Amino acid sequence: MNVTEAVFLLFAIVAVVSALLAMTSHQLVHSALWLVVTLGSVAGCFVVMTAEFVAWVQVLVYVGSVVVLVIFALMMTRQPAAGPSAEVTGNRWAAGALGIVAAVGLGATVTAGFRGERIKGQRIGTARSIGDALFHDWVLGFEILSVVLLAALIGAIVISRSGSEH
Amino acid sequence: MSDLLDIVLRCVIVVGAFMTLPLLVGQMEHKAMAHMQSRVGPMKAGAFHGWAQLVADGVKFAQKESIIPAAADNAVFRLAPAVALVPYLVAMVAIPLGPFFGQTDLIGQDLDLGLFFVLAAMSVGVLGSLMGGLGSGNKYSYIGGMRVAAQLMSYELPMVLAAASVAMAAGTLSLVGIANAWEPWWLLAQLPGLIVFFTAGLAELQRPPFDAPMADAELVMGPLTEYGGMRFAMFLLSEYAGIVVLAALTSVLFLGGWAGPWSDQVGWIWSLLKIVVVSFLVIWARVAYPRLREDQVNALAWKVLVPLALLQVTLTTFLVVL
Amino acid sequence: MMGRPMYGVGLLQGLRVTLRNMTRRSVTAHYPDVQPDLPPRSRGVIALQEENCTSCMLCARECPSWCIIIDSHKETIPATTEGGRDRSLNVLDRFDIDYSICMYCSICIEVCPFDALHWSPEFAYAEGDIVDLTHDMNRLREWMWTVPAPQALDPGAEVPKEIAAYEAAQSSPEIPGMAE
Repeated sequence: MNVTEAVFLLFAIVAVVSALLAMTSHQLVHSALWLVVTLGSVAGCFVVMTAEFVAWVQVLVYVGSVVVLVIFALMMTRQPAAGPSAEVTGNRWAAGALGIVAAVGLGATVTAGFRGERIKGQRIGTARSIGDALFHDWVLGFEILSVVLLAALIGAIVISRSGSEH
Repeated sequence: MSDLLDIVLRCVIVVGAFMTLPLLVGQMEHKAMAHMQSRVGPMKAGAFHGWAQLVADGVKFAQKESIIPAAADNAVFRLAPAVALVPYLVAMVAIPLGPFFGQTDLIGQDLDLGLFFVLAAMSVGVLGSLMGGLGSGNKYSYIGGMRVAAQLMSYELPMVLAAASVAMAAGTLSLVGIANAWEPWWLLAQLPGLIVFFTAGLAELQRPPFDAPMADAELVMGPLTEYGGMRFAMFLLSEYAGIVVLAALTSVLFLGGWAGPWSDQVGWIWSLLKIVVVSFLVIWARVAYPRLREDQVNALAWKVLVPLALLQVTLTTFLVVL
Repeated sequence: MMGRPMYGVGLLQGLRVTLRNMTRRSVTAHYPDVQPDLPPRSRGVIALQEENCTSCMLCARECPSWCIIIDSHKETIPATTEGGRDRSLNVLDRFDIDYSICMYCSICIEVCPFDALHWSPEFAYAEGDIVDLTHDMNRLREWMWTVPAPQALDPGAEVPKEIAAYEAAQSSPEIPGMAE
């Protein structure tokens, strides 16, 4: 295992541990901040795998906007330092079991698909290469995605307006 | 071994610039704002017109007691100034200053995705103010934190769009590449983008007239209410470092960076000059304009700046394709 | 009503005003290094010329703040001529003005018939203890050296009657009893 893979492993461990802390933290604000660490480590993993563009977009969009939005929603709906974070209901055992099943399933799929891959040395994740791939090979998926986002946007506007009229 | 020395030297220079340029901007703010208000500003610290005022401020802050409110969230409260400050240091690594007497460009590290890197680093700095607002255990900080979240999120979009339009025109995301590809007629072609970027940048830094989160007539000091001593100094340093980063980005993206006569030798001086001019504009905007109300801030972002940025992107697309 | 100006005109006006202010010299007076340029008849502190004072108590009575405290005693001057009347004289023992109460209204100076009280533009007499803000007779005498000359009259004004009387007295034979 060379240095690259060691660093990748380090980032991966940090991501998993901070994700666990985000799940189990008693304060919602701490959960959101552990989420920041998780997303940052994932961005670090991307950088080590030479997918730089995705890494910085991850930081810009996820850490810079999505987490801010999450914290904003938190602030609007909750007291800052209230007691236990989420309502802990009787469903938690079923939710835990479902989570484990999902984790095993996803892990198996990813391992089966990418087992044996190594981080190669060449730069494969530049903006140019991603742009080429996106607009030559995956254009259909890109356009469908933009239609889905447009639908979500219009839906959000409709919901917010109908809510305010009542 | 000279590679290592090169890296160390670049780090030292970046850290040195990070420590000195914000202080220079701060001193310029003291004096320029003072003269615009028909007064003289600091005169006593340092024998010549108070040049050492910010040094004296630094010493003052360093010797202050560090107070943490009882209701504050300890870890979040302590970490917030660092989270606000470090991203600007990181962003400075990728910003070029231009040719230094024929040598290669003065830059920490030229990244292929330099523009995205800098924008991403600036957006992480947002979390510092948020953490300060949430972790202070104070309702004024809380409201200030909410205003910070709404404002900074709203202004990310026009800033990124305006920067993206320049990247499209230059054909690269590398800051050195963009500055090299600059042509003087871009001053007109990218003018809406310049206005949008500068305004959105001002709002990202929470500088007046966009300092509704820090409105001291309403919110004491917003997210910074409970901070004093060295932590407060870190927040202040992050604000001025942000001004330097914004000025540097604006000049590299929209004003051609080191373009000017004899730019091969003294390009870095042109860069610094443009940074000083843009910083002066930031200070001028502070003195000349009253604070925008919170709803005006958001309306400006979504109803004026985003359409203008989209218009700029469309215009640039036409110009690039044709 | 004139029509609304174009959007953005106010923004440019703000920039123009601030730039103009910046390029002009600031009006700040650098006080401790440079003494302020006070207008004439500035009210700084009240000075007492005790040889003019006859303890008539008009100033103490008229002061709205009751800040003037006067003590005096009578002395007799024996008659100079044979069978003449003894003269009596009021001698001041104590004349205090308490500047922590004084409201600088000038009533005492206006009301004094003998011109014993005068304004001086000195203002730097702050003290650490409020007791020291009561100036006694000697200190009030010291302030007299700082009282400026009265403002010159407008050109063409008529000579005030005190000066006319003084000049008349100078030119006429001496009135007995004034030499002492």
